[in-house]
Amino acid sequence: MNINIVEDENAGTVGSALIKVMSLFFIGIMIIAFTANPISVGTNEGQRAPDIEGKFYNGSGWTEFDFSSYFNTSWQEGDVSGQWVAIEFMDTDCPYCQQSADEYGQYANAFSVNNADWNGPHVNFLASATELSIQGHDSDRAEIEQFRSEYNHNFPYIDDIDQDNMEEWGIPGTPNYFLIQPDGIIAWSSSEHADEKISDAILRLVPRESV
Amino acid sequence: MFDLSSNVLVAVYLIPTLVGFLIVSPLGNSVTSSLADRFPSLKTARGRLLSGLQLISLAGFAVSTQTLWISSKISEGGSFCSSTSTFSCDDLLGNSKLNVDPVFGLSWGLIGMATFALLLFIVFVLKQEPNHPLSERFINIGVLTTGIGLLVIGLLVSYEIQEEKICLYCTTAHIANIAAFVGFFRLRRLHEKRDEWNKS
Repeated sequence: MNINIVEDENAGTVGSALIKVMSLFFIGIMIIAFTANPISVGTNEGQRAPDIEGKFYNGSGWTEFDFSSYFNTSWQEGDVSGQWVAIEFMDTDCPYCQQSADEYGQYANAFSVNNADWNGPHVNFLASATELSIQGHDSDRAEIEQFRSEYNHNFPYIDDIDQDNMEEWGIPGTPNYFLIQPDGIIAWSSSEHADEKISDAILRLVPRESV
Repeated sequence: MFDLSSNVLVAVYLIPTLVGFLIVSPLGNSVTSSLADRFPSLKTARGRLLSGLQLISLAGFAVSTQTLWISSKISEGGSFCSSTSTFSCDDLLGNSKLNVDPVFGLSWGLIGMATFALLLFIVFVLKQEPNHPLSERFINIGVLTTGIGLLVIGLLVSYEIQEEKICLYCTTAHIANIAAFVGFFRLRRLHEKRDEWNKS
């Protein structure tokens, strides 16, 4: 019986080079795996909220908005001292946004440290005002200021007329609400809980001293 | 404010990349002549090119690993080189849309690691066995890979222009790719001249 043995004198060269490079690659990956705990950025619950950019109006003028200043990444679940964030993506010309504006303003006052009846942490309310690409929905900063004043809102309104933030967050329509933990992780979104109001989500998810 | 520590750390990757670039450049012979006695591989053109490419690929691999690490740390909520100045890598490496490739959604850092690991593999094979039957193919793969890298650099630089920010870690990886392209291109030309290639 003849056995043909194929010899490749160069196989060892490729093999040893491959082992060296693979080892290096896995060392690199392992260093990252052991020293970092990446959380994906997105708008689903459990993901890190994407950034929100633009100018915001707080009643006195339009200044640069710093979304990251609302978060403390060292916050631990259950800690009642961290401030939460509730954000509404809205359009001043959207009828549903107008209908819910009074209610949203009331929530902002209710879930505030200024409300003695609220025993939980402060919830910062925000509104990102866009201009939907629908006829009759033309908007500008003056309209945003007027809307805020009309509903007696005392929280910041972010100018998203160019829809940049709306696109970044993948918002399909307005109004759309998110509740964000003090560490910047999305705890609740209205698109995942169509039957639950943001106020109920706050009561359910935000830790309180007596609970 | 300019974040000194994180941006100075770039030098750890940038210096070997630039040294490697110098070695693979036409100036490589004069630059390394004084070191040739200590490092005999630098005596030949092939040895110089492969040594320079090894340095470049290692530095490129390391800086790509660092960018992937920075992206991961930013996703945790931390910051690494956040700055209000133009030199702010966090704004680019932390941007979930820009820090991944538009087709497969893979992190640019991971793609960089894989690319430079491939280049390192080619360099290791050629250093060990310069007349390997697949040497020409390996060199062509090196030229092609780094050539595609040039197009990727164009895309990533357009992101930097769009964001009006410069990521020094990314730029170092870009320089490493350009240097590797020059190195592999010169290696291919040398490989065509068999006498020069086989000098020892």
